[in-house]
Amino acid sequence: MENASGLQRQLARMKKDLFDQGYLDEQFDQLEELQDESSPNFVEEVVTLFFRDSSRLMANIDDALQQCPRDFHRLDNFLHRLKGSASSIGAAKMKNECTSFREFCSEGNLDGCLRSFQKVKNDHTILRQKLENYLQLLRQVGPVDKASRSGS
Amino acid sequence: MEEVKEEGEEMDVNDCGGGGLEVVRVLVVDDSPVDRKIVEMLLRRSEGIFDVVSVDSGKKAMEVLGLNEIEAKPPNHDDQKIDIVLTDYCMPEMTGLDLLKAVKANSSSRSIPVVMMSSENDSERISSCRAIGAEDFILKPLQVKDVQRLRTYTVPIGPMSKRGSKRKLPMALIAESNGAEARPLLAKVAAFGSAVFLTLNFWRSSVMSSSCN
Repeated sequence: MENASGLQRQLARMKKDLFDQGYLDEQFDQLEELQDESSPNFVEEVVTLFFRDSSRLMANIDDALQQCPRDFHRLDNFLHRLKGSASSIGAAKMKNECTSFREFCSEGNLDGCLRSFQKVKNDHTILRQKLENYLQLLRQVGPVDKASRSGS
Repeated sequence: MEEVKEEGEEMDVNDCGGGGLEVVRVLVVDDSPVDRKIVEMLLRRSEGIFDVVSVDSGKKAMEVLGLNEIEAKPPNHDDQKIDIVLTDYCMPEMTGLDLLKAVKANSSSRSIPVVMMSSENDSERISSCRAIGAEDFILKPLQVKDVQRLRTYTVPIGPMSKRGSKRKLPMALIAESNGAEARPLLAKVAAFGSAVFLTLNFWRSSVMSSSCN
């Protein structure tokens, strides 16, 4: 029992850190609110879908940046979708960096695009690792009531 | 790619939400697998009111709606009758706007309410969608309150109008579902309340449209 509550505290702390460091926003809370007994793995499923989808989009962005001449319109389309996905799961840092990236795109600023893309990739990697740790702990803790899990 | 219901699958058409309400069948159209999954869950969590069909493109939506030119077929009671379309605006090949135009241009689907979703709060986009006949324009990411108001677009206000499929939600049934069986006065109050809600919603959208940019 004590071990369970210790894990819950750890989970709450982990989530709070994700919010305090700006990686997640309240949209992630919305996802957790949607999870219930009939869909106990909903958050993990959505997060998995996000990283699969975002990895694909980032590969497309990488290709688009390598092409010559650069098609900034096509690049913006990929960015729009990446930003949308990030926003949907509450990946705040990624969403904000995608906004900056799109601004560089609209200016045709290749250097700015490349710098911004590097930040997006870094944020993506860090978020993936942090969420994997969070979800792993969540699986250990098991179904808990939402009030006790709240850490934001 | 996970789908709640794929085109062609049979659905439990006798499934009723809480309180005896008929189920509203929603066609969700979004190329983003993340957004589709979230919207599906939002709809499923809405007290059993919604039955969800989701597709990842405008072209597939046309097939579900029986609007595919290649496979043109007359409306059939055995078809999956859609009560409302909830579509993303930005999609490759066939956009949500293209889908909206196609739905409104066809006599067999014109009465189906179409609600647009977008991550961009673009006043011109919103205006053009409304001008073509979109019921509403919802900003992504969707919230619970956005999904709850979808019901109102399948409910006739005043005299019964031919909207969506035969699977409509008469005002009396809504009153009954709230435990007010055989209470005509409550049904009138519910109708007034819905009218006020929709009017307020319209003004809110108008204010949002004029404040963006």
